[in-house]
Amino acid sequence: MSIMQRSLAWARSHSTVVQAIIPLILAGVLVQMFGSSLLVNVYTFFCVSLMMVLGVQVFMGNSGILSFLHVGFVGVGAYASGILSTPPAVKAMGVPNMFPALVDLQIPVLPAILLGDIVAAIIAAAISYPMMRLSDAVGVITLFATLIVFHVIMTQWDNVTNGPRTFFGVPEYTTLTVALVGALLMIVLAYWFRESSMGLRVRASRDDRHAAAATGINVVRARYVAFVLSALMAGLAGGVWAHFITSFSPKAFYMSEMFVLLSMIVIGGAGSISGAVVGTTVVTIAREVLRQVEASINNAHVLSFEVFGLTELVMAILMVAVLIWRPQGIVGGQELKLSRLRFKKKKEEVSNV
Amino acid sequence: MNLEFLINTLSLGSLYALLAVGLVLVYGILKLVNFAYGEYLMVAGYAIYLSAILGAPWWATLIIAVVASMLVSFFTEIAAFRPVRTKSMDALLVTSFAVSIFLQNIVLLTISPRARAVPLPDFFSKTVVISGATLPLRNLLVIGTTAVVLVLLSFLMKKTVLGMAMRAAADKFTTTRLMGVPANFVISAAFLISGFLAGVAGIFWVGRSGSVDPLTGAAPLLIAFIATVMGGMNSPIGAVVGGFVYGLLFNILSIALPASMISYRDAFMFAIVVLFLLFRPEGIIRRGYTEERVG
Amino acid sequence: MTTPMLKVDDIHASYGAVRALHGISLEVNEGEVVALLGINGAGKSTTLKSITGVLRPTSGSVTFLGEDITSRSPEKIVKRGISLVPEGREIFGALTVEENLRLGAFVSYQRDRYKADLKEMFELFPILEERFHQPGGLLSGGEQQMLAIARALMAHPKLLMLDEPSLGLSPAITDDVFALITSLRERGLTILLVEQNAERALEVVDKAYLLANGLVEVSGSAEDIKKQVDIASVYLGGEDAEGGEVQL
Repeated sequence: MSIMQRSLAWARSHSTVVQAIIPLILAGVLVQMFGSSLLVNVYTFFCVSLMMVLGVQVFMGNSGILSFLHVGFVGVGAYASGILSTPPAVKAMGVPNMFPALVDLQIPVLPAILLGDIVAAIIAAAISYPMMRLSDAVGVITLFATLIVFHVIMTQWDNVTNGPRTFFGVPEYTTLTVALVGALLMIVLAYWFRESSMGLRVRASRDDRHAAAATGINVVRARYVAFVLSALMAGLAGGVWAHFITSFSPKAFYMSEMFVLLSMIVIGGAGSISGAVVGTTVVTIAREVLRQVEASINNAHVLSFEVFGLTELVMAILMVAVLIWRPQGIVGGQELKLSRLRFKKKKEEVSNV
Repeated sequence: MNLEFLINTLSLGSLYALLAVGLVLVYGILKLVNFAYGEYLMVAGYAIYLSAILGAPWWATLIIAVVASMLVSFFTEIAAFRPVRTKSMDALLVTSFAVSIFLQNIVLLTISPRARAVPLPDFFSKTVVISGATLPLRNLLVIGTTAVVLVLLSFLMKKTVLGMAMRAAADKFTTTRLMGVPANFVISAAFLISGFLAGVAGIFWVGRSGSVDPLTGAAPLLIAFIATVMGGMNSPIGAVVGGFVYGLLFNILSIALPASMISYRDAFMFAIVVLFLLFRPEGIIRRGYTEERVG
Repeated sequence: MTTPMLKVDDIHASYGAVRALHGISLEVNEGEVVALLGINGAGKSTTLKSITGVLRPTSGSVTFLGEDITSRSPEKIVKRGISLVPEGREIFGALTVEENLRLGAFVSYQRDRYKADLKEMFELFPILEERFHQPGGLLSGGEQQMLAIARALMAHPKLLMLDEPSLGLSPAITDDVFALITSLRERGLTILLVEQNAERALEVVDKAYLLANGLVEVSGSAEDIKKQVDIASVYLGGEDAEGGEVQL
């Protein structure tokens, strides 16, 4: 087979990735060349969000366990990367109580981001193994409680994080290109894991953990691998985000942010990467529109009071509406593939019966 | 152990027990961990605030608070949980999170993001002296109220057909329907009772802080979660036990932690609970009669 | 020809994407005892679930006493007079025997009749009187089966459906169960029985439907089926398992 034929065959069998990557690159190029600075910002933010969502999806979509903890790992990545790369002078001024060793530390941004996600992964590796034995409600609540622990530590440990106050001065680094590359990387990583043998094992355990165990799958270990990988991805996303937004506080890694991430993954469909992409797109657009509406209502002083929380309100309604209409998300549980491939598969199934 | 500590722990445990039972009632039947539960409590707080502004006497504000909480609980079931439930039970948890965000933001939008002072009857701040110890009256009140509520609830669950149906539904939902018990009715009843408990707990919760804001529900929700899980998710008794144990843990940590670490108390508590769960996921009270004997 | 009490007309049913019934039709006339036979996975329980409303058929209809009950909810169908003794008994383990029976009577409760009904159950199943205040979960498998049947009878059903009543029970208790079915039939109760133990079932029923792969393979009176159909060959492996012990 010629290279052309081989690449086409590869593209067809991994069409999910190709389908996601090509529009993203095209849109990125178009926005970069022709978009207003607002649009560039929105698209960059979209790519960073996609990174976070894919991190969550790798665990949640494959294991079926709802994890509230991942926004915490985003925070770990953000803080770690920020601390490592912000100039000492800024840190000394902005975080008065910081450990001197941390103040003096400074490394270039890219290594900082990478180190940041490793810190997140290490923490995940250290604490999560026993949690992977818990399922259903107990598992969700435990992960939720752990997020609270993370949050308390972030808000109290002012030697490191500046406590509840803003940590600012993080060097700006994340351009549209950086974010886009990051998002593409996450797509490939998420897809690779999903299709790997470990990914298959996790997905088997999602559908029926007893049956999976009965076939020899070590459910705990499979989930653990997925969890650590997803923490790594979330940490990476956090680092990239930190260098986009340049200042943040622990509030950014708590309930409201987790809700946004959840809405992206749930509306699109938690079971698939295509779902994550679609969901992130829909929610990003919806939120931007709502934000504009909120701002214009406030600026026009049409109402006697300021309209706060409209965005979240509408998003909540939207999420419930999607869940009523299609609980498995817009895309549903399976990946979006080229339709030609799908029709072929259907025919095969019928003849086997 | 001195009297103050005892009463303090009992009152805290009572409050936590109320919270936990309200959560577990719905969980038992629907297997739903209701993230919106904290908001039912928050609504009760705002109901006191609003009805006081409108000039209602104190006893009316308290009744309105509980009724408001019950109504909100009831309507969230009809508007959100019921339609989702017919499609997918797994989606219920995320739905409850969305409902929680919705309620928080409705209040934020229509009232204010800032905290509001909640006027409470004078006796809430009174103290009583017993055996030389000065005790806040409301602590005694919460113990008494919880005792009464739990007794009433126990009567409902054990001696009425509705209670029987709810217990059956928590055991085997579909089979309960096969008895001709209307599913929607049982679930609505559970949500109403859950709202009632959230409302009563809300009165005392807000009574301690004196104010309410859109995020007031977050802390009680977490307490309800933890107490329920610690008690073993499957019974109201477990929830009560879990509530008291959690209250005890809170007070012990408050005393035992050095001053520098006190702000980390919540982290310590959850860490201890998480550790406990890792070793004993079934909670404190193991499930009663799970398997039939074969024979 | 009288209208059948229960008429199932070409129902199809699926569990999500998996199609389980491909067109089942059957009839149960008043006073009859009918069996649904077949191996595991043939669609017997699925048929019962479709009748009781637990599963909604994708096409076809179910008519009971002249009324279309195809998409009704289980609660409403029970009210119409169909009671199911579910596969695996499904006793409320945490509730006492008394409470189980009380719930069974839920749909047709009449205070003056209730005590008499209980008495009748005690006559049929003395063990239930003995264990009246004990939690259902403490009963043995055979006792639970008695309780499940009693619970269904408390509703004064017009049609009693039993899903694999002999499942997991010892041969002695299985005898009791089948003897019970016979005596219920003598009281005039209409019964639809799902059983893997084809031989025993054919002894107590008037007519039977043999299901395979979601379709009715054979139907007819019990005698006809006993004579003509090689039951063993319909089952995998051919060898007739003595006593019909279920491979769980």
